[in-house]
Amino acid sequence: MPNATLTFLNYLCLLLMQLALAAIQTAALVFQFALGETPCPLCILQRVAMFGVSFGIIRNFREGYSLKNDGMSMIFALFLLIIATRQTLINIYPRPGHEYIGSAVFGLHMPVWAILIATALLIGYAVKFAITGGDGNLTPLKKFPALARAGNALGLFIVLLAAVNFASVIVQCGVDACHTYEYRLLK
Amino acid sequence: MMTPIFAFTFAALLLAWLGRGRVALGALWVMLALSIGLFLFEVHNRDYGFRMPWIQTSAPVTAGEG
Repeated sequence: MPNATLTFLNYLCLLLMQLALAAIQTAALVFQFALGETPCPLCILQRVAMFGVSFGIIRNFREGYSLKNDGMSMIFALFLLIIATRQTLINIYPRPGHEYIGSAVFGLHMPVWAILIATALLIGYAVKFAITGGDGNLTPLKKFPALARAGNALGLFIVLLAAVNFASVIVQCGVDACHTYEYRLLK
Repeated sequence: MMTPIFAFTFAALLLAWLGRGRVALGALWVMLALSIGLFLFEVHNRDYGFRMPWIQTSAPVTAGEG
């Protein structure tokens, strides 16, 4: 396959992953602020892990493609998988103080969705590597200006989502532990 | 602990978007280290440690089995 086609497929794949992550993070904020569902500490950590995946994608669009950036994203996808699996196992047997909180979407709660999201991300990277190979045969992103603009705009949106989450965490947790039953600074 | 984690997360993402890769990477590693620490703190139980005794993985052996 020509290098230009591989480059386009590589960045398109990254753009789609970033788009999915932005949609999930936005949905999480909608559930939090529109439906009043205060996130649990492990749920917030899952958001952190997803921002970590986005970090690698942002760097790929801003500084040129590198396998190092994909590696960092995959570390955070794995971290997301570990957190989500552990939370699912904690809540899998409902008992006082330990049960799934928040709304179920299509019958699945947030940590179960996070397992599927992390698995989908890791599969996405595996498929991308299988199709495009390493980073030595790719042409510069500037040959696809529309893709570059979309990637950078989406990256900026992710930064804004992180800013909203940062403010929200300050209000919910202050400088102490987070709780699902209150916003500490609004008491 | 969550507030510093998000401070580093936001800093890492903003710096990465601004093209300050090296500093952004530093913030990201600090964020990852703090996140792993908080994750272990959150899942640790005073009584069970890291075990999950509510998950039964063995069944009583009946005659003719095992």
